[in-house]
Amino acid sequence: MAESIQMEIQSVTEPEPLPCKPIFKPLKAHEMSDGKVQFRKVAVPPNRYSPLKKAWLDIYTPVFDQMNIDIRMNLKSRKVELKTRADTPDVSNLQKSADFVHAFMLGFDIPDAISLLRMDELYVESFEIKDVKTLKGKHLSRAIGRLSGKGGKTKFAIENSTKTRIVIADTRIHILGAFSNSKVARASLCGLIMGSPAGKVYSKLRAVSSRLAERC
Amino acid sequence: MATVKYSGIEALEKLKSTEPPVFLAPSSISEVARAVSQYLFTKLKPHDPKSQLDQLWVDGFDTEQIWQQIDMQSQHLLPSLRQEVNRFVKNPEEIRKLANLALKVSHEDDVDEMDMDGFDSDEDNELEASESEGEEEEDDEEEEEEEDDDGEEEEEEEDGDNEGIEDKFFKIKELEEFLEEGEAQEYGTDYKNKKGVAKRKNQNLSDDEDEEDDEDEDEDDEFDAFAGGDDEEADKLGRARYDDFFGGKKKETNMKLKDLSEDEEAERENQGNEKLSTHERARLKLQSKIEQMEKANLDPKHWTMQGEITAAKRPMNSALEVDLDFEHNARPAPVITEEVTASLEDLIKSRIIEARFDDVQRAPSLPTKGKREAKELDDSKSKKGLAEVYEAEYVQKANPAFAPTTLSDELKKEASMLFKKLCLKLDALSHFHFTPKPVIEEMSIQNVPAIAMEEVAPVAVSDAAMLAPEEIFSGKGDIKDESELTQEERKRRRAKKKRKFKAESANEPAKKARDTSTENP
Repeated sequence: MAESIQMEIQSVTEPEPLPCKPIFKPLKAHEMSDGKVQFRKVAVPPNRYSPLKKAWLDIYTPVFDQMNIDIRMNLKSRKVELKTRADTPDVSNLQKSADFVHAFMLGFDIPDAISLLRMDELYVESFEIKDVKTLKGKHLSRAIGRLSGKGGKTKFAIENSTKTRIVIADTRIHILGAFSNSKVARASLCGLIMGSPAGKVYSKLRAVSSRLAERC
Repeated sequence: MATVKYSGIEALEKLKSTEPPVFLAPSSISEVARAVSQYLFTKLKPHDPKSQLDQLWVDGFDTEQIWQQIDMQSQHLLPSLRQEVNRFVKNPEEIRKLANLALKVSHEDDVDEMDMDGFDSDEDNELEASESEGEEEEDDEEEEEEEDDDGEEEEEEEDGDNEGIEDKFFKIKELEEFLEEGEAQEYGTDYKNKKGVAKRKNQNLSDDEDEEDDEDEDEDDEFDAFAGGDDEEADKLGRARYDDFFGGKKKETNMKLKDLSEDEEAERENQGNEKLSTHERARLKLQSKIEQMEKANLDPKHWTMQGEITAAKRPMNSALEVDLDFEHNARPAPVITEEVTASLEDLIKSRIIEARFDDVQRAPSLPTKGKREAKELDDSKSKKGLAEVYEAEYVQKANPAFAPTTLSDELKKEASMLFKKLCLKLDALSHFHFTPKPVIEEMSIQNVPAIAMEEVAPVAVSDAAMLAPEEIFSGKGDIKDESELTQEERKRRRAKKKRKFKAESANEPAKKARDTSTENP
């Protein structure tokens, strides 16, 4: 970098035609942070500990090999730590990997969470049932039952039609997908929480999903 | 009824002499009346310029018809009579001349006619006067017709002083007389006493006769009188009052008695007429009127004047009697006349001929688009991960050729395969020269062993052969069949059996007590 600046200064003093614009390569993560290493730490909830152990290699391989991010599990602190390397191409890789791990911690499957690594515009949205409607006791249980449906078919129906992935963790709901899609999924889920029957939600889904598909 | 034919004058005399009530009832007087009419008609005939009838035809003729005949004659006479009267009005001296003439003539013809008093009816007298005017014009002055006329003629002779103010339309004397007459009728004074009474009598009689609208032939006379009216006649009719027709209160008590008090008052009034002054009388009348009005005000109003009325507050069916007026908001139903129906039928016929029925046209349906593939909601968990889903989508958008087949495509493929098979079979059945499809050998990789070795083991072995003899039977010693046994051996077996049984029973005495049925003896 210093040489190029020197060259520029020299060129200015001499009456020569201006040189072509210098082309700088994008900064590496390392350089951007001035050689410092960046960290991310993702906490592991206790219920996800054993699934993490089972699926560790599936997590490790894409992060380490494709994202070029160092990843390790700190057993004492029960956290997954991510660190940039020297050859990490892009700063966003770290964030994507962190998001990927975090999505796994929330409860998403590896193939679904991997999409976070591969696509930019996917987000995870979370909300609670009590945000939508205050329910207690049996009503809450019934609402949760309504959300998933028999054998989970309502949830799958929403997932398939809106191209999202949904995780219902007791009273928390997480939606993974593109912004517009997750909005539709959220609307359907809210409808179900409020009490509309599954059939109604299905019909609405059909209408909306066809429109979404047309648009794309 | 004896039909005695009277001669003209006699008939007239008889008519005059009959009492007025006789006219009211149908009686033989009708014949007399007819005779009189005929006589008078013939008398007047010479004066009629356009006379068409020789005599008055009464036999078998209707009242109306007889009247028509008389009327016809009198219509022709009227103009000439008017002229004569006008002449007399201008020149009163001529009357005297005529009177002398008339006297002479009358003496020659009939004596009685001169003494005719107007006691029948004023109109009758008038008529007679007018009828006989041509010859006997002294009737005008001798007979008691209108006092006005007499008065007029007398007074005309008397004062010619007021010539300046008066002209042919306005006469002061006439005015005064008119006023006095009005007062008389209003307050009941006797204006020219005798004459007034007589006049009233005459009027009453005439009223009586006027009132009864019978088929009596006397009507002819009345109508004659009316028909033969002069200017004076017209004047008199113009001054006709209620009392003329329906009588004064003291005479008509039988006929129209609504208010007894009124009548009493009238009677009282009439009785005290002579004692009270004009002013007092006027005041009494006013008082009575006031009392009447006050009484009316105090009484409850008629239901139509009471404002809002329900059906309970008015008498039953009273709304039917009153002419109610209210707005109808609805258009009245069209009156179906023959013309309306005829016009409708014509319209229908013309429409049928033209074949122009206003049938409803079905709206043309829009050209249908191909039905979009209805995306079915998949209830099951998707086998692809989210990444694969997006990947597939992206690949389809970017490179449609490389895109993996969707479910619908697979279904289509399957369907087409099935159809091809079916077609093949049908062709085999139907074509005359059927050529089967060439077999395309498919190359596919299969896991098949390269070599097939012969096996050492026998190919087919039965189960029985597989078992060794020991496995089939395990037993010791010499085995004999029952038929081969000797007697001793049989005994030995039996003894052995018994010993065994005893040993068993000694071991289990308790069981024996429980079930005795299972033991075999």
